[in-house]
Amino acid sequence: MARSSVLTTRVLLTTAAIGVATGLLAGIAGWVTPFVLGIAPIFYGFVLGAHVLPGIIAQEVIRLPWVALLSHVFAALVASAMAPQWALRFLGTAILFGGIQELVAALTRYRVWDAWRFFISAVVIGILVAVVVAFAADLASLPLLAQIIYLIVAVLGPVAWTAAGLGIGVSLRRAGVARRA
Amino acid sequence: MTTAPTMLPASVADDPYAAVRRTSAVRFLYGLNPLAKMAAVLPALVLLVFVRDLATPVAFLALSYLVLLVGVSLSIRAAVLLALAIPGAIAVLGFGFALWTDAALVADTPPVLQIGAWTLYSGALEIGLATGLRLAAILALSLIPGLSTTGPDLVRACVQQLRVPYRIGYTALAAFRFVPRFGHELEIIRQAHRVRGAHRGRGPIASLRRWASYLVPLLAGAIRHAERVALAMDSRAFGAYPDRTERHLVPFRARDVVFIAAFWLASAALFALFFPWTLS
Amino acid sequence: MTAPPDSAARSASVAPAPGETATPKPTHGREHARLLQLREVGITHEGEDAATPASVSFEVSRGDVVLLLGPSGSGKSTLSLAMNGLIPHAVPAALTGRVEVAGMDAATHSVAQLSTQVGIVFQDPDAQLVTGTLLDEVAFGPENLRLPAAEVLARAESALRRVGLWERRSENPDRLSGGGRQRLAIACALAMGSPLLVLDEPTANLDPRGIDDVYAALDELAASGDKGIVLIEHNLDAAAPFVNRVVVLDAAGVVIADGAVDEILRGRAAELHDLGVWLPTSTLAALRLREAGYRFDTLPISPDELRAALDRQSAPAATREAGAGAGAATETRVSASGTRIEVRGLTLRRKKTEVLTDVSLEVRDGDFLAIVGANGAGKTTLIQALAGVLTPPRGTVRIDGLDVARLDDRALSTHVGFVFQNPEHQFIAASVFDEIAHGLRRQHLDEAEIERRTLDLLDRFGLRGRAHVHPFLLSGGQKRRLSVGTALVAGARVLVLDEPTFGQDRARADELLGLLRDLNREGTTIIVVTHDMQLVAEYADRVAVMESGRLTACGAPGEVFADAELIARAGLRVPPLARALAPLATHPELRTVTRVGDLPGGGS
Ligand SMILES: Nc1ncnc2c1ncn2[C@@H]1O[C@H](COP(=O)(O)OP(=O)(O)OP(=O)(O)O)[C@@H](O)[C@H]1O
Ligand SMILES: Nc1ncnc2c1ncn2[C@@H]1O[C@H](COP(=O)(O)OP(=O)(O)OP(=O)(O)O)[C@@H](O)[C@H]1O
Ligand SMILES: [Mg+2]
Ligand SMILES: [Mg+2]
Repeated sequence: MARSSVLTTRVLLTTAAIGVATGLLAGIAGWVTPFVLGIAPIFYGFVLGAHVLPGIIAQEVIRLPWVALLSHVFAALVASAMAPQWALRFLGTAILFGGIQELVAALTRYRVWDAWRFFISAVVIGILVAVVVAFAADLASLPLLAQIIYLIVAVLGPVAWTAAGLGIGVSLRRAGVARRA
Repeated sequence: MTTAPTMLPASVADDPYAAVRRTSAVRFLYGLNPLAKMAAVLPALVLLVFVRDLATPVAFLALSYLVLLVGVSLSIRAAVLLALAIPGAIAVLGFGFALWTDAALVADTPPVLQIGAWTLYSGALEIGLATGLRLAAILALSLIPGLSTTGPDLVRACVQQLRVPYRIGYTALAAFRFVPRFGHELEIIRQAHRVRGAHRGRGPIASLRRWASYLVPLLAGAIRHAERVALAMDSRAFGAYPDRTERHLVPFRARDVVFIAAFWLASAALFALFFPWTLS
Repeated sequence: MTAPPDSAARSASVAPAPGETATPKPTHGREHARLLQLREVGITHEGEDAATPASVSFEVSRGDVVLLLGPSGSGKSTLSLAMNGLIPHAVPAALTGRVEVAGMDAATHSVAQLSTQVGIVFQDPDAQLVTGTLLDEVAFGPENLRLPAAEVLARAESALRRVGLWERRSENPDRLSGGGRQRLAIACALAMGSPLLVLDEPTANLDPRGIDDVYAALDELAASGDKGIVLIEHNLDAAAPFVNRVVVLDAAGVVIADGAVDEILRGRAAELHDLGVWLPTSTLAALRLREAGYRFDTLPISPDELRAALDRQSAPAATREAGAGAGAATETRVSASGTRIEVRGLTLRRKKTEVLTDVSLEVRDGDFLAIVGANGAGKTTLIQALAGVLTPPRGTVRIDGLDVARLDDRALSTHVGFVFQNPEHQFIAASVFDEIAHGLRRQHLDEAEIERRTLDLLDRFGLRGRAHVHPFLLSGGQKRRLSVGTALVAGARVLVLDEPTFGQDRARADELLGLLRDLNREGTTIIVVTHDMQLVAEYADRVAVMESGRLTACGAPGEVFADAELIARAGLRVPPLARALAPLATHPELRTVTRVGDLPGGGS
């Protein structure tokens, strides 16, 4: 039970709260997805990028191991309840995105919390998402220009959302929410 | 003394805890372990990503609809999803992707529609439709666990079968309680910001900034609430021991194994039948 | 980070095998009657300089019902967290002195171990819910203790029966009223089997009926005599009749009184009053009447005692005119001149259910209107429609003669300001200054003018010194004042507030209401929604009563509270002072007084 020495009930529930609040937004994103896919599939990466938020905010506010992965999973559970058709996709992205964010944090031994660290995970996520979605949406059939735009958007999406998440995390710190961590 | 499901009052529509009613023995999906349902659809789901033809996704759509129509008692929402949303999504996605398809790839197929210099080829329609059907099939497969499982049951199964630490599982259960509360808070925050005349303006950038400005008060309130809930849980001995008494068992039974095996077999048969899965 | 409540070593050695009962083993048999012992306890929150509470020593035994009093910020809530080990185990704070629970040192025992001896009930009922049904909720604690399922159910049943919720065991707690949820929280604490119950303002968020419900449940527990209860409560009118001991902290958190109710509340009432501690309304009234020459051998606590004491004596000759004079003084408020808000046949639906039905109401210039009614009666919806937060149907709500449904946000904000229940929801800027300035910038004034007017307003609201602080970092009372400021800055002459005293202690509530009264005297029309009946009596000059979406009465507080049938039907209560004075057999000069301030005796 070495884990529980860090993950007090208070930390667990705080990650849950972050997951739920951002999951509410992800639920909305879930309903938007078919329309984006139908109308402008190359911008899908941007919508998917929104799913980086829980981990970014959790790590920025709490700065402990596991919080990114956990907040992602909680967000996915909640979003699945709102849009059950995406349940498995939500869980999948949660574990993938959360896993990458944890991994990057673990590589710096949970000591470095500068902004660049968050952006590394954003780029890794962006590339991974780009590849997976390219298969699912059969992007090979699109014109080359569209494929390039798609790739750029897919990588920039998570980066942009990471920047937004960091902004929110900083505002929360300023509002005194995370001052003890 | 024990609470038989029949004692439950008609469940409120948006009560994530409400036990799923099992109206008859035919509605077998409710009686299965949530993990079994997920495991059953997972291989087909992953393989479908690599499929390119029309017949395979159609076959999986049919399989999913069959399982769903027999296995769950349809709520209005679920019926709308199956009868309108999925067919609608196929049409929208199919046509949308057709528009985006590279014309050079399909220029040798017969044209269907011509507006000025622009031509819609039947090949493009076919590719679009294949994509639409594939995504719809993935969606329909997800609905098999999605429509017949409550969040709390999934959490319990994860704790009982996957050995996820129960402290994490119960945190998730508490998190389901947050959903309506935070949803309500979000609505109030939106009202309050509107009254203050914050972040006016139209367009995607303005609305993104608006949403971001809701997130800070929402999260601040959410985290404070979470800390109070944590104190209340701790003071009721939460996490005292490595395990806890579990009154709601979500068993993994022979029927779960049978369901997984049958679904895998059916999936394998369909994939084999329609191989290769590319458009001719 | 502090150590977690459960260390691996302890759970390995103390944990019973699954299935085995985790009955606590009190080590000191003789001391068992003493449930709680505090010795010179001082607590410093992380990041604070001074310890609040500074030094607290007292004991609680079976059968004790202890009321813990003290001014706001004296550390009562902090102390309650130390009583079951949450401080220092779960909340980052340093504890000095010794907390002993049934003979166990709280510093060396985990929260889980202590939880079998101390149950705790917090202020917000929603923040104590974890599961989906009442039964699961009550079972949650015993399950954590690894009790066998049969024992869990037995405990859950007996706890739910004690608070009268057994019949509703399979419902979702969300469907209970606020009072019901708070009784559920009490049942959860009982199911832990703990002989000591600590309650921190358990009724602060409830409507009058909910408060009565909770105290009925507590009364029964206290009567059984097998429990010890520590109660922190600002609403002494409800709490005083049921406690038998009082402990008082001063502002620094040092115990300055500890004794029986009679000795403290009656004997040292004047001293407590000077300290800023709230007293029962009847006691306050008697203190004041005493200065006017009335005689009280012992001070009354309940309205009945006050009435009985008055009926036993005749009025001191000198005050007969003073009483009449005070009555006249109430009439010299800002006289109503014109109509500010006019509501005609307002019917409003939310998600298909009709929430307001045919409401008609007129609010005149300079009114101080209170809207009262049970939970869910439609009060919030009504005032939101008045202020244009919700858009009412066209032509139903007029403000200064303009149709609210046709006004845009900016025009609206120059006519009416709205203060939401939770001020944090309304904050949009990163500093107090910008928060106020925002309303002026919207009017495109030049920067110098904006700065001048903003600083003026901050001065008026006592926030000048905090101009550059983040709004979220203000104290509760300051946040509320700031939100009033933001609502007024655009020049609105009508101010609408939703439960402005919600979750606040009486001292902060008083500060805010004083501010509102001053604004009102200068001509601002005030509309408040509240559950606090004495507040209505003290401040409002008109009361509107809502009952399931309908406005069923509107008039002077005196008239409305005189209608016993209406009060009962609407789930309201007569304010304590009126309850004491209205039925007086003697003293006609007092019979119509409803405000403590109108009693003779304020003198100087
Ligand atoms: N989490 C915290 N972190 C830092 N300081 C805190 C925290 N909680 C309370 N305090 C401070 O500790 C002191 C005591 O607060 P506490 O809430 O215990 O007072 P109280 O007597 O319960 O007041 P009230 O009557 O307003 O409820 C206050 O100065 C408060 O600002
Ligand atoms: N956003 C909403 N959607 C649907 N129904 C609502 C909404 N808000 C409130 N209601 C319903 O409208 C009714 C009146 O609610 P309202 O909040 O106006 O009551 P209230 O008198 O302010 O109660 P309280 O004292 O609990 O604040 C309630 O039955 C409530 O369930
Ligand atoms: Mg307190
Ligand atoms: Mg209300």
